[in-house]
Amino acid sequence: MLAYVARRLAMAVGTIVAAVVISFLLVHVSDSTPGAVRLGPGATEAQIAAENEALGWNRPLVVQFVDYLGNLVQGDLGTSLIDGRSIGADLIDRVPVTASIAFFATVLSGVLGVLLGVTAAVRGGRLARLITTGSGVALSLPAFWVGILLVYVLAIQTGLLPATGYVPFASDPVGWFTSLTIPVLTLTVGGAAIIARTANAGMREALAQEHIRTLRAMGTPEWRIRYVHALRFASLPVVSVLGIQFIALFGGSVIIENLFALPGLGQAGQFAAASSDIPALIGVVVVATVVVVLTNLLLDLLVAALDPKVRTA
Amino acid sequence: MSVLPLDAADDVATAPVAPGRRRRGLPYFLRRPGGIFGAAWLVFMLVASLTAPLWRPYGVAEQDLGDRLSLPSGEHWLGTDPLGRDLLSRIFSAGTEPLLAAAVTVLVAFGIGLPLALIAAERGRRVERVISRVTEVFLALPATILLLAVIGVIGVRTYIIMAILGVMISAAVYRVMLGVAQSVRQRLYIDAARVNGLGSLRVNAVHVLPSMATVVAVQAAQLYGIGLLIVAGLAFLGFGPAEPEPSWGFMIQDASSYVFNAPWLMVPTGLVLALTVVAANELADAIAGKASIARTRGRRNRPLARAVAAAGSPAPPDPGAILEVRDLDVSVDDGPALVTGVSFALAPGRVLGLVGESGCGKTMTARSLMGLLPDGVSVTGGSILWRGRELVGLPEKELSAIRGREIAMISQEPMVALDPMFSVSYQLTQPLRRIRGVGRAEARAIAAQLLQQVGIVDPDRVLRSYPHQLSGGMAQRVAIALALTGQPELLIADEPTTALDVTVQAEILTLLRSLVRDTGLSVVIVSHDLGVVADICDDVAVMYAGQVVESGTAARVLEDPTHPYTMALLGANPHVADGDPVPSRLASIPGTVPAPGDWPTGCRFATRCQFVRDECTTPFPALPAHGGGSVLCIRVHEVHDAGIRWSAEPVGAELAPEAAIEPVPTAGVPR
Repeated sequence: MLAYVARRLAMAVGTIVAAVVISFLLVHVSDSTPGAVRLGPGATEAQIAAENEALGWNRPLVVQFVDYLGNLVQGDLGTSLIDGRSIGADLIDRVPVTASIAFFATVLSGVLGVLLGVTAAVRGGRLARLITTGSGVALSLPAFWVGILLVYVLAIQTGLLPATGYVPFASDPVGWFTSLTIPVLTLTVGGAAIIARTANAGMREALAQEHIRTLRAMGTPEWRIRYVHALRFASLPVVSVLGIQFIALFGGSVIIENLFALPGLGQAGQFAAASSDIPALIGVVVVATVVVVLTNLLLDLLVAALDPKVRTA
Repeated sequence: MSVLPLDAADDVATAPVAPGRRRRGLPYFLRRPGGIFGAAWLVFMLVASLTAPLWRPYGVAEQDLGDRLSLPSGEHWLGTDPLGRDLLSRIFSAGTEPLLAAAVTVLVAFGIGLPLALIAAERGRRVERVISRVTEVFLALPATILLLAVIGVIGVRTYIIMAILGVMISAAVYRVMLGVAQSVRQRLYIDAARVNGLGSLRVNAVHVLPSMATVVAVQAAQLYGIGLLIVAGLAFLGFGPAEPEPSWGFMIQDASSYVFNAPWLMVPTGLVLALTVVAANELADAIAGKASIARTRGRRNRPLARAVAAAGSPAPPDPGAILEVRDLDVSVDDGPALVTGVSFALAPGRVLGLVGESGCGKTMTARSLMGLLPDGVSVTGGSILWRGRELVGLPEKELSAIRGREIAMISQEPMVALDPMFSVSYQLTQPLRRIRGVGRAEARAIAAQLLQQVGIVDPDRVLRSYPHQLSGGMAQRVAIALALTGQPELLIADEPTTALDVTVQAEILTLLRSLVRDTGLSVVIVSHDLGVVADICDDVAVMYAGQVVESGTAARVLEDPTHPYTMALLGANPHVADGDPVPSRLASIPGTVPAPGDWPTGCRFATRCQFVRDECTTPFPALPAHGGGSVLCIRVHEVHDAGIRWSAEPVGAELAPEAAIEPVPTAGVPR
């Protein structure tokens, strides 16, 4: 178990380093330079060269890399080329927005998806076909389109919820809740569909297991067979997919944040990409990777807790 | 734009389609409605988009400011956008880029992931580990955010961006394909091909890849759908073709700003995009053959076979029998019969063996005793009297009360018979508490006692264990202890030793014998091994093609077989009693058991019998034999009574090439 945790931790650090290396290399193979970005289109070649020199761009790559890593360890992500703000401080404010959307969407997807998937597996027949077909369509719908649809129905037609914008929790908890509702629902449509499929397949596989027949042969009540034994068996794939789901939602939130004008991490990524704000881009990549890595670690622990084969290894 | 997990991968990966499943004519996935729709829509979109410049009614930038945001009309079939441009023309002109760019992602992802998987599967652990570690790192990177970084650096170059996405996704493709490639490689014919000296490339191209084709197709179709969503998502964020060039993503972005006053605007583009992604996913599902699994499950409604009992006056139950089966029929619903007219009786404290080759209906007969037939199979006639009570047609709830308490079962594969997620302690104490109504501590004490009774020396350690920590023999002992928790009077043992090592087999049989002696348990044991029967059974019923062909006490049937099939089985049995000379050749039974539905009329063994005559092909009743037993052979007098024996033919002398020699092995391979 200890070796397992150590290996996972090494993987986590390796992943973060890989993210930094990749973004570093990406930046340095491109033709654009930080000086050109900072000074804008009006600058002359000489000005840009001077600016690049000042920013340390001409130092050897390895030196720049080590320098960056050193700052990173101290929590310093540098400053934006566009407006000079501290990238670290900016992203710290943004992470909770994205994280809360991804978290609530994952939880809601999990609850709805498991309910639907298990129902389909246990009840069978037309209901199962309806759920299978419905989830097949739902996971194919583009999130941004579903979002507009929900805005049309929930905000414009009924006027119950705000269409866009974000209210910090600290200033108005109710406003915070309503401002997140439509984004979370939007992501839940596809998320719940994927979980429903996973749960359905997992439950069906579980119910076909030999040990389920042993339980039947012992006269075990059907509810116990389904909701204690089969569900426990199916929980492993569902938990794994939920983790992947959270990661995908976290990374994929950029669209939702754009659509609903939410000041999250994805929005920062989009701004930075649109303006070639290189340090900000690397910062977003690093922060997103850290979140992904932490989620994966948590997921591994959860799977270990659920699966006796891992736990007792 | 979330990168969806490649779902259903596990489903498909664990069950690769056998090669040779292909049929002539339309591929199987085009016979499903989803497959037809998916393929047709994708082809339609591709053709319509590529040819759009030839047929579109308006140019993509042609504005008509007097007819802005209009609903569908004769002039503009799908309406117009905020600048009065024709939506139909724009949607289809915009289709080319996402349709092709998503294909680039798929090609790159498989171009990298698939060869890597093949190499890793072929080169063994070390190479596999290195590649797998690297891909794990790749998988943990946030693909969408990295993609934004790429755009920030290289600008909006959709095809290159989607190729880079392909590189990132190749890690996921590798993961899925590695599992499939490994399982394909484990199959014997791959080894055979290598022994035959085929080069690595040829083995992969000729044998491995074709077996993976289905999984590749499923994953590729799914990934294509994801790619479409990502291209559109990027365009939605403004990272797509610049205005006035149309793109699906940007058209939806545009629609989002007009959702207050022109909600129609979001409908056509959104629907086309959604339909195209749905089409890709439907195609994937159709290829995976998922629709067939979605078959009705639900509560089985078993046809009641009571009618048989009601019709005609049944003979009074045998007072000496605890279990009496009469004329039992088991059939596939709307399909062939699996078991017909099976009758036998079991007295308390006796052991009955059901023997025969695989596919003779032994297991179905045994399972019907507990009402635990597989879905789609049910008892269609006859009666099962358990202590004078009719079990056929009994409601599930009442059967459930009998299971575990009166009749218990142990199965063939002890390693999968126990729930891998729960400790042995939980699995034993849970039924103890339910059936015996004892508390937690007492249940644990009884469980330890039961484990001791089945010959486990350190019950406390085993109670704390999980099934994967047990050996096969140990697991079977635990399974027997589990069966004993309800203090049943009848134990049904379906091939209880088949999956075990030979030495362990003997131990388990000894255990069963001592349980019968000590507790007065009755046992129905299913086996294809006459050695097991000789070892433990009091009575035996030999089954062939869904019928009992011979029954009687084990001693008499084995000593003096009257049915040619029993003779042949005994002749093919490699057991040699101590002191007997090893026979120079074993008799073999040419051919195989005919499949249900293909049974000949008259004697079902006629096709493989040495003594077959014309009269064997007409139906005839069973004759009494072995005292209380029976034999189902019309020529029993001419053959058995005349002392004729099944003759051992030299191995290889069989005439028919398809006649697989299948002697009954001692330690058989599990089915």
